[in-house]
Amino acid sequence: MVPATETVLVVDDEQGILEALADLLREEGYRVLTASHGREALERMAEVTPDLVLTDWMMPVLDGPALIERIQQDPVLRTVPVLGMSAVDVNGLKRLHPGMEFLQKPFDIRALMKQVRRALDTNARVRGG
Amino acid sequence: MSPSEQHPPAFERIATGVPGLDPVLGGGLVASGVYIVVGEPGAGKTIFANQLCYSQAQQGTRCLYVTLLAESHSRMLANLRSMAFFDASQLPQRIYYVSGFRMLEEQGLPGLLELLRREMRNHGAGILVLDGLVQAQEAAGSSRDFKKFIHELQVSAGLSRFTALLLTSSVGPTVHPEYTMVDGILELRERTAAMRSWRELQVRKFRGSASLNGTHHFRISEAGLEVFPRLETMVSRSQPPDWGTQRVRFGVPTLDAMIPEGFAAASTTLVMGPPGCGKTLLGASHLAEGIRLGEPCLMVSFYEGPDRLLHKTANVGLSLGSAVKDGRLVLQWNMPAECNLDLVAHTMLEDVRKRGVKRLFVDGLSAMVETTNEPARISPFFAALTQELRRHGVTTVFTLETPRLFGPEMDVPLGTGLSGVAENLLFMRHLELNGRLRRLLSIFKLRDADYDPTLREFLITSQGIEIQPPFQPSPELLLTGIARFPGNHS
Repeated sequence: MVPATETVLVVDDEQGILEALADLLREEGYRVLTASHGREALERMAEVTPDLVLTDWMMPVLDGPALIERIQQDPVLRTVPVLGMSAVDVNGLKRLHPGMEFLQKPFDIRALMKQVRRALDTNARVRGG
Repeated sequence: MSPSEQHPPAFERIATGVPGLDPVLGGGLVASGVYIVVGEPGAGKTIFANQLCYSQAQQGTRCLYVTLLAESHSRMLANLRSMAFFDASQLPQRIYYVSGFRMLEEQGLPGLLELLRREMRNHGAGILVLDGLVQAQEAAGSSRDFKKFIHELQVSAGLSRFTALLLTSSVGPTVHPEYTMVDGILELRERTAAMRSWRELQVRKFRGSASLNGTHHFRISEAGLEVFPRLETMVSRSQPPDWGTQRVRFGVPTLDAMIPEGFAAASTTLVMGPPGCGKTLLGASHLAEGIRLGEPCLMVSFYEGPDRLLHKTANVGLSLGSAVKDGRLVLQWNMPAECNLDLVAHTMLEDVRKRGVKRLFVDGLSAMVETTNEPARISPFFAALTQELRRHGVTTVFTLETPRLFGPEMDVPLGTGLSGVAENLLFMRHLELNGRLRRLLSIFKLRDADYDPTLREFLITSQGIEIQPPFQPSPELLLTGIARFPGNHS
């Protein structure tokens, strides 16, 4: 359990997955925001800058790649780490987006939590210099 | 007509990628049509829709798959990965999965419709699958709202040139009045009788062209869906060609001598008799003669497997093994249980067309007759099958088991329907005479040819079948299996 000081934004169009992920992360002590597509995620981030974005790849309205592009173009958000997640073979996505970290659906919950933690710690170290 | 004048576009067809389905639909789905696929959970709707998407993606068409409270995309893809049609390289560029449930929950049918239109446009997709139409139906405020949704989707499909499949579980009546607005309704179902179940597809409605009526079997395997159109609906209504005076022979000199001109090419011969009387060897002789003449041959069997058959025929001097090895003879063996008539016919006719088969031997027709789940179809099925074989110029021998080994009664299984459509009928039976079991053969009927109608004993030797001179005992009870030599009344 971590103190609820770190905020994770979860973006997924599949309602069941979105809610399940949010519950799991809250149980781990994170503060969780949710959005069902990229545009909604940008609206959330206009209010609160999260410490990590966990985003699905295939979504309506604004998909994962488009969301990441917007985040990288935004001077405030560009340092927020992003973890992609997809039901599609993520090895193919990694080749298309080198440098991005991906989670393969369906998730292994422990691996998911480890990867979330690692992304947050890495970012904290980078920010801390 | 000036060059600028525009014609109404002809119906473009979308291949479904499901073997056997396009012929049922008269050539495929009509482009820009909206189709409902209805069926209980597990009926195969999701596999069908995905098979269509992957097939279309192979041809460069982009597809959008929208779910509404259906199984998760990761679970769906995990299930699809074992399917032969699944191609991970199409994801996510050409096949794109999204959920529309949240939009439906928050903004109802207008929000869902907007999402579908926008996503189809954004992805430049030509195929839309909406998986879970029943959710949309439940979210509709009224039947009128649901009809309006379908109508507006149809308008969008027409304007934006996409073809839509709407998948829905059937609850209550399988076809709701609202569904009548769409361009086609395909129903998938599983039927059960006793402990046996099978899958059926029926085209309930199809605008744009005629479709094959009634139900058609389909199966789901790692190859995906495969439809086996009901044979009776597939055969050509036109007369088969006249094969003229072409004649064929069994290749058994003493038997051929009973039919001096030979029997008609492309005809159907039914050999009936009890187990062990030599029917299989007679049919194998028919094939051996074809192989000798260089004709492509096919054997379809139900009881004896290929190895056993080759061993058995080799023992009587019929060497079929080399013809199997070099492809002149193909052996198709079917389990003698739970026979699917259309699957057997499809496999058989596919080889007939592919290799130009000229001689066919179907051994153990009783297995088809006794294990089909559609006994009422047997007669029209065989009429259609023999018609199609005749059309391809295939000279066919069928064997059919009669149940009684001995006795004063003869069982001719007329109920199979084949005895009515076969041009040639040969009857074989056992005869017990002076403590010795003998085999008898007689020709009951032969189309367009003179034949020797005498009853003959025949022997099975290491050299094959040998027909003996006309049988001498008193003929009065010969066909009953109980014979007497003249003067012997004991």
